[in-house]
Amino acid sequence: MIVAGRGAGDGVRLVLEAEEAMLLSELADQVDSVLLLGTDDDPALGRLLPDAYPDDVDAGREFTRYTRDNLVDGKRQAAQSVRDATSVGDGERLVEIELDQVQAWGWLTFLTDLRLILAERVGIIEEGTPEQDEQRDDYLRAAYEWAGFVQGSMLEVLDPTES
Amino acid sequence: MTDTLERTDLDQETLRVPEASWRTIVWDDPVNLMTYVTYVFRSYFGYPREEAERLMLLVHHEGRAVVATGNREAMERHVHAMHGYGLQATVSRAEP
Repeated sequence: MIVAGRGAGDGVRLVLEAEEAMLLSELADQVDSVLLLGTDDDPALGRLLPDAYPDDVDAGREFTRYTRDNLVDGKRQAAQSVRDATSVGDGERLVEIELDQVQAWGWLTFLTDLRLILAERVGIIEEGTPEQDEQRDDYLRAAYEWAGFVQGSMLEVLDPTES
Repeated sequence: MTDTLERTDLDQETLRVPEASWRTIVWDDPVNLMTYVTYVFRSYFGYPREEAERLMLLVHHEGRAVVATGNREAMERHVHAMHGYGLQATVSRAEP
């Protein structure tokens, strides 16, 4: 994968191999599904929609009532835009994607949500927990690392640090 | 400190605390990249890089940081936005 600064403007240009694009498209679809179908007892959804008032049940419920639909919509839109941008045509080897700054934010937040879900699924927080399904976990862990690499590379372009 | 000083009636406290005494707190999360958190603080709050990095490091090392103070409505707006960015954020009343 190549991430490069755009010649004109302040966006970012991504070049993905077809397999990478397909993987991302698939993961975006899964994030969308978690947001659409996830039940309140799914801890991954809890990571995406945290409690704003952990010490005040009523205020927390009220906050959720006013913000939840908007948050879910925004996150689903971000996931869907990534899914659509990564569709691969027949015989295509590379997928080139130009993002302006607004679109790039959609990608950054999607990659964050994706990593939060994957972290929850493989238990990034608790180290040393027994693996239930090692092969599946290896796959999810690799996707987690890769999503972090994509996000980090985008940030190097969008927010370059001096020195 | 004595007990009497700490024991305040909740309703009285609500009246006593001025409007501006609310906080937006961002909590550490092992998932989010440090560069991402800094970029969010810079872009959303408009903090200069140095301040955004200071707050990010505070979150990282201390487990949390107060990233904004003000009235409750404004803090709820900030927390709503932080959740949109995928950061773990909460609203709380500033200690008197």
